[in-house]
Amino acid sequence: MGDEPLVRWHWIGTHLGYLRDLLLDHAVISLLPVLFGLLMALPLGLLCVRFPRLYQPLAAVFNVIYALPALAVFVVLIPYTGLATQATVMTPLTCYALAVLLPTTVDGLRSVPEPVRQAATALGYGPWRRLAAVELPTAVPYLVAGLRVAAVSSISLASVGALVGRGGLGYLFMDGFQRTFPTPIVAGIVLVTALALVTDAVLLLARRLLAPWARRESVVGR
Amino acid sequence: MIRFDGAAKRHPDGTLAVEGLDLTVPAGRTTVLVGPSGCGKTTILRMVNRMVEPTAGRVLLDGTDVAQLDAAKLRRGIGYVIQQAGLFPHRRVIDNVATVPYLLGWDRKRARTRASELLELVGLPPETARRYPFQLSGGQQQRVGVARALAADPPLLLMDEPFSAVDPVVRSGLQDELLRLQAELNKTVLFVTHDIEEAVRLGDQIVVLREHGRIAQVADPATLLAAPADEQVAAFLGRDRGLRGLALRPAEGIVLLAANTPLDGWTLAVDQEGRPTGWQRSAETIRQVAVFRPGLDTLRTALDSAVLSPARVAVAVDHAGRVIGLAPRAAVLDALDAAGPDTAAGITATGVADGR
Ligand SMILES: Nc1ncnc2c1ncn2[C@@H]1O[C@H](COP(=O)(O)OP(=O)(O)OP(=O)(O)O)[C@@H](O)[C@H]1O
Ligand SMILES: [Mg+2]
Repeated sequence: MGDEPLVRWHWIGTHLGYLRDLLLDHAVISLLPVLFGLLMALPLGLLCVRFPRLYQPLAAVFNVIYALPALAVFVVLIPYTGLATQATVMTPLTCYALAVLLPTTVDGLRSVPEPVRQAATALGYGPWRRLAAVELPTAVPYLVAGLRVAAVSSISLASVGALVGRGGLGYLFMDGFQRTFPTPIVAGIVLVTALALVTDAVLLLARRLLAPWARRESVVGR
Repeated sequence: MIRFDGAAKRHPDGTLAVEGLDLTVPAGRTTVLVGPSGCGKTTILRMVNRMVEPTAGRVLLDGTDVAQLDAAKLRRGIGYVIQQAGLFPHRRVIDNVATVPYLLGWDRKRARTRASELLELVGLPPETARRYPFQLSGGQQQRVGVARALAADPPLLLMDEPFSAVDPVVRSGLQDELLRLQAELNKTVLFVTHDIEEAVRLGDQIVVLREHGRIAQVADPATLLAAPADEQVAAFLGRDRGLRGLALRPAEGIVLLAANTPLDGWTLAVDQEGRPTGWQRSAETIRQVAVFRPGLDTLRTALDSAVLSPARVAVAVDHAGRVIGLAPRAAVLDALDAAGPDTAAGITATGVADGR
């Protein structure tokens, strides 16, 4: 890269709006799939806990999907969802999020100590009501732990989408690399990192609000 | 009243948990199930609230077969306390206690008011209401468990080794509390323990079980200690059952000597109010004085007082702790003899129940 400086502040100054758009796009294509993943993981997780036989086959399917290389999946999807569309990137990311969130949901729901579960039954909770009132709240710290992993990996994976034309901040890496111009690469790294850190902080705050009783326990020390 | 009518439980894997139980649990009293680990106590308890469904026979609650009742509704009408308390970790103490009222659809305010009353009833300070279970000691959690079971004022209470996870001092405190509550509330209590001391202390009726829920003996505590049905029950009751039986007899009818009688050179020193301060003999002083309250304490306490005193007399005090007289060991034993027909020989004829 010769005598090109690491950061050209002038470029950043003239591209603020562009950077902001990329950041927003990145946030949407990486975090929306995590939200979708969560919305699917919750009912699936509840079903798996209520009907344990479902869990192994479902978990196996999502594990296989998780093992597929992201880029390959993007490319396979292009004929169906089109090049450079959000769907091309978000579909596999949703599957990845689900692959992480389904086991954490199930573990969380199962983390209710046996005496607590039995006390709930003995006090007159039916099975579904108990899932909603006892198992689900107990699972919150697990869910947050799963969401942190899912969100951060989704934010990082979304960059790869740039190779199929829709990668949010990932585009900065391609651009900088092709032009041997490091400034966009540095900006991209900083923004991706910032997005990951802010997301993580928000999730921790959510845990604090939703599960104040777990604040001092390391329920999720795994 | 609960009636077990040939109630049996065989698990799908073939394990026979309870062979076929015939037992009546009277209303308004405490019935204690004792027996070795694995003999089916928990299974029997859970047949009542349908957490275990009998594979043969029936369980009748006030004449109705529980199998005909809706399980969740039935359970809301039965208090249930377990060893580990099983409090909901994500709910504050007050909301833990209000669980059943919420389930019954009470409005929040009424449920919480009721929950506060119960916290007070089980002796927890008001500031514990806002805490989470992990912020409580084991004994406090157990109290919350009892309060939660009582919240909707169920006539029936099932307790499965509720106090066995706490240390002996706390346990004894919780037992006192339960006795006090029971004197006030008169619930039908079915209590499981494998601690015979606890059974004797709490039970109006004790059911000694063998493996597969077979009944070895049903009796009131005094009868059980005085006249165990057989060698096995006697062995289960332990070696000093005679002495422990004294704890069930009031210290009454003991002939007292005047408080200032010197004995063996020992005299009892008292303060201005007349409370004992120590034993004195010439230059010697012993500060600890073991006392008993006639009518309030048991013969065991009286005997203990006599055994501990250097002058070999039990010190009788009134409710305010003022000395009212001295009872030589012989006088305590005479009182025991006077209780005559009530002891072993007399009891065998009437007491040993036939398993129903
Ligand atoms: N789900 C089950 N499947 C098979 N066997 C079981 C099951 N639950 C209990 N048992 C067996 O039934 C018997 C009675 O169990 P139960 O829990 O009623 O005993 P317990 O008297 O309460 O014992 P403990 O004092 O140890 O609590 C035991 O032999 C136990 O192994
Ligand atoms: Mg048991």
